[in-house]
Amino acid sequence: MPATDCQGSSAATFTNFGRSILSLRRDQVHSMDTIHPDGASSHELELESFQKNVAERISGLSSGPDEILSLSWVQKLLDLFVISQEEFRMILFNNKSLLHRAPMDRLIAEYFERSVKALDVCNAIRDGIEQMRQWQKLIEIVLIALDNQRTFCDGQFRRAKKALIDLAISMLDEKDSASALNHRNRSFGRNNNNSSSRDGSSTHHRSLGHYRSLSWSVSRSWSAARQLQAIGNNLAAPKGNEIMATNGLAVVVYTMNSVLLFVMWALVAAIPCQDRGLQVHFYIPRQFNWAGPLLSLHEKILEESKKRDRKNACGLLREIYQIEKGARLMNELSDSVQFPLTEEKETEVRQRVQELSKVCEALKVGLDPLERQVREVFHKIVRSRTEGLDSLGKGHGSD
Amino acid sequence: MEPPERYGRETAGFETAEKIILRWDSTVSEEAREKMIFEGDRCEVDRYLQAVDEIQRSISSTTISDDDQTKVNSAIQIAMARLEDEFRNILLVHIHAFDIDSLLADLRSSSCSRTNSGRESSDFLEEDHLEQDETPTSAAAAAAVRDGGGSGSGIRDVLKHMDSSTSAVCSYRSTSSIREVDLIPEETIEDLRSIAERMIAAGYLRECIQVYGSVRKSAVDLNFKRLNVEKLSIGDIQRLEWDALETKIRRWIRAAKVCVRILFASEKRLCEQIFDGIGTAIDDACFMETVKGPAIQLFNFAEAISISRRSPEKLFKILDLHDALVELLPDIEVVFDSKSSDSIRVQAAEILSRLAEAARGILSEFENAVLREPSKVPVPGGTIHPLTRYVMNYISLISDYKQTLNELIMSKPSTGSRYSSDPSTPDMDFSDLEGKTPLALHLIWIIVILQFNLEGKSKHYKDTSLEHLFMMNNVHYIVQKVKGSPELREMIGDDYLKKMTGKFRQAATSYQRATWVKVLYCLRDEGLHVSGGFSSGVSKSALRERFKSFNAMFEEVHRTQATWLIPDSQLREELRISISEKLIPAYRSFLGRFRSHIESVKHPENYIKYSVEDLETSVLDFFEGYPVSQHLRRRSQ
Repeated sequence: MPATDCQGSSAATFTNFGRSILSLRRDQVHSMDTIHPDGASSHELELESFQKNVAERISGLSSGPDEILSLSWVQKLLDLFVISQEEFRMILFNNKSLLHRAPMDRLIAEYFERSVKALDVCNAIRDGIEQMRQWQKLIEIVLIALDNQRTFCDGQFRRAKKALIDLAISMLDEKDSASALNHRNRSFGRNNNNSSSRDGSSTHHRSLGHYRSLSWSVSRSWSAARQLQAIGNNLAAPKGNEIMATNGLAVVVYTMNSVLLFVMWALVAAIPCQDRGLQVHFYIPRQFNWAGPLLSLHEKILEESKKRDRKNACGLLREIYQIEKGARLMNELSDSVQFPLTEEKETEVRQRVQELSKVCEALKVGLDPLERQVREVFHKIVRSRTEGLDSLGKGHGSD
Repeated sequence: MEPPERYGRETAGFETAEKIILRWDSTVSEEAREKMIFEGDRCEVDRYLQAVDEIQRSISSTTISDDDQTKVNSAIQIAMARLEDEFRNILLVHIHAFDIDSLLADLRSSSCSRTNSGRESSDFLEEDHLEQDETPTSAAAAAAVRDGGGSGSGIRDVLKHMDSSTSAVCSYRSTSSIREVDLIPEETIEDLRSIAERMIAAGYLRECIQVYGSVRKSAVDLNFKRLNVEKLSIGDIQRLEWDALETKIRRWIRAAKVCVRILFASEKRLCEQIFDGIGTAIDDACFMETVKGPAIQLFNFAEAISISRRSPEKLFKILDLHDALVELLPDIEVVFDSKSSDSIRVQAAEILSRLAEAARGILSEFENAVLREPSKVPVPGGTIHPLTRYVMNYISLISDYKQTLNELIMSKPSTGSRYSSDPSTPDMDFSDLEGKTPLALHLIWIIVILQFNLEGKSKHYKDTSLEHLFMMNNVHYIVQKVKGSPELREMIGDDYLKKMTGKFRQAATSYQRATWVKVLYCLRDEGLHVSGGFSSGVSKSALRERFKSFNAMFEEVHRTQATWLIPDSQLREELRISISEKLIPAYRSFLGRFRSHIESVKHPENYIKYSVEDLETSVLDFFEGYPVSQHLRRRSQ
């Protein structure tokens, strides 16, 4: 099993990671590095601070004020990527001369290959954000029907119900879409003669289902799960000789690879997209100082995905959970109401409306910036790759 | 107290209206579920709409009780649900109303069209012409085929590009504009509008947008399928063979024009027709709901191309794509002019600048590739190297795209400082090339590095004469190629052409020196006269040796150099003449002076094997590229 092999050998290599990894090749440090008082060269400091920054940022994700997997947390996650990528770019820029030497040329080319695969994830996530906008619009209908009403009547509930049904269908995960309509009939069918079949015409269902398939801009066979696997394929910690031969840069590339894979994985975990799947394995030797925080975050998200009420979710995003829960409760409530409402029911309705309105507001505020950020990630990846390939190409020329 | 009469009338009005609404409540009546109001009697349509208006009026009335309020609310909800179904149904019925195939066929067969806007364009016609005509036979392409029919896949690539891109240049450069068509018949639009008005007035705007967007989006999707706009991921596109991708790019350009100028523009107009004046920016909201997804899907393809790996063969298709987008951009700006659609505008602009960057990157990659092209096996016969053909075809294609490239290439080639002390790259002095565009400098630079590479290759010939002949052939080819294209000639300039002409002439001279000096050396006087005696003693043995070595050398040169090749007939002729001009008089006078001495020995024919005429004819065998079947024939015996 190659993956564990690598883990084994690299674990041995990094027994005393920290400052140490670089001192492995301290003797071979070229005189071009300025030697600092404490004996480390500026080159080493640059590489070490990159490791440190990445570790701190990942730790910040699990300990920060933002609830894990909330919209604002995802934004932090993307910030982490953008900043790390920028630092990574600078390091490459400062070490141009090393880039076209083996094995660095191969390592860096591999990174660019992986990062291109991440572009498709970005596009899929953009579709997912668009889909969440649709949900936001449906919730808005519920809110218009039920918010700020002096009194409640049947008509308002019927209106809300229609939107809630559309919402429920639209939120069903792709895999379940076959059973979708059955499920719908079961849970919403009770009040059939009352109001819920008001959306009734079968053409409506067809167009809704069709609409959903239209919301992905990639081909039907594209799979986020497979894409993640492709990004993670053969990703292994660098071996001692690789680190030496690259003046420590191999470690930086490995770090960036891992950040890329993790960020894409977490995005797919959080946001709806085609054929989600989280079965990516992270083999990261604990000796990297960012390994601990990353693995524990990975663990937390996995746990989240295994929770009973999240298992079939179309995304682990906090807000999606809140929509699902809010919409479900509201749905049940609307099935059980009788007019005129009791005071108790009225309070309950107002409370549910309040909850939905909160999450709706969060989407309203959060989705646009998130989409822009996803685009920024896209641009950063493209730019870094273009620059990288350019300098690799030119490197050959002057060889 | 009796209610005032006015109130009574209202109540009566409301009750009638409510009855109508309830009659069409599909949750209670089977008949209401089966039938659609707008598909039936027009009077019923009017009655229903009036009923909705009546109920709408009751809402704003302040005089109704809470109880009535509930009844009104309920009636409105039923009416709105009904209207939503009617709205959806009308839209669904007309989802196929607009047939893009027939539109394209129309455009192809005649200039008459169903355009409403009056803005005319001939662009689509031209494209369709292109589409039918997959293998254009333009003079340039034909010339390229004649010229390039050599070896190497690189050449074939370029020829193919020549095929597709020379014709592309003329058609994709045309100016054009938006052409809106009726997606839905006008009388139907009236119905949609009257429903939309009521839904929006009753506060059902969001439902209205939702329904509208979902149905129209499927309509756009249908048309996308007809236009072959595929859903491809960046990964899919990177895995495609370049050939396949080229076809897709060509199709995409055509599809993108139809999408932006006809499809999206018409969707936008439809939104305006239905929603304009009803509320603020509702038409925009509906438009974006309909086309945002499709537009992103459309542009994702071009984006994927713009970030694909750079390689020389992609340049011309990238430029086609760039030109197509440049041309489309004003239309994109018109169609996506609202604030809510700026992400589309931004993405289109981003792709454009990436394509420009890609074109620049490819050019510099090409320069690198020309410099590094590593083949070491000498071309037999010293003829034109495939690299020379490849590079020259490539740059003459570049000159076809000079309008675009002049805008894109803004910096001089990266020579000079970076390369100055590097023996693996040539030097180039730009100081005497002032006033040239950066693109022209790049072309000259490419020629410089091509020659530099060729000089390296020439060193692999064992025979110095062949080395010079090879350089002569190749530089001559470069000059001819430049002279053959007015654009290229103008960019390279006569000064630089003169330099190159000097260069191949120099190579010709060097060749003659390398081959003929030692042959002619046999025909000198020195060493033949017996020294020390009286007058003219000629050493017979020395003379015999001279004739023998002349014959041997000439035979050898003749044998080898007949297999050498100068493909240009004029150049071949000139070089032969030049050889004859030196060889023939020298031989004639040598014969004249020494024939008598040889004729007195035994078997003079062993020494004077060739007459002057023999030599003249045998020079004609030179540089034909065929081995001469026998030894030099002695024709005069």
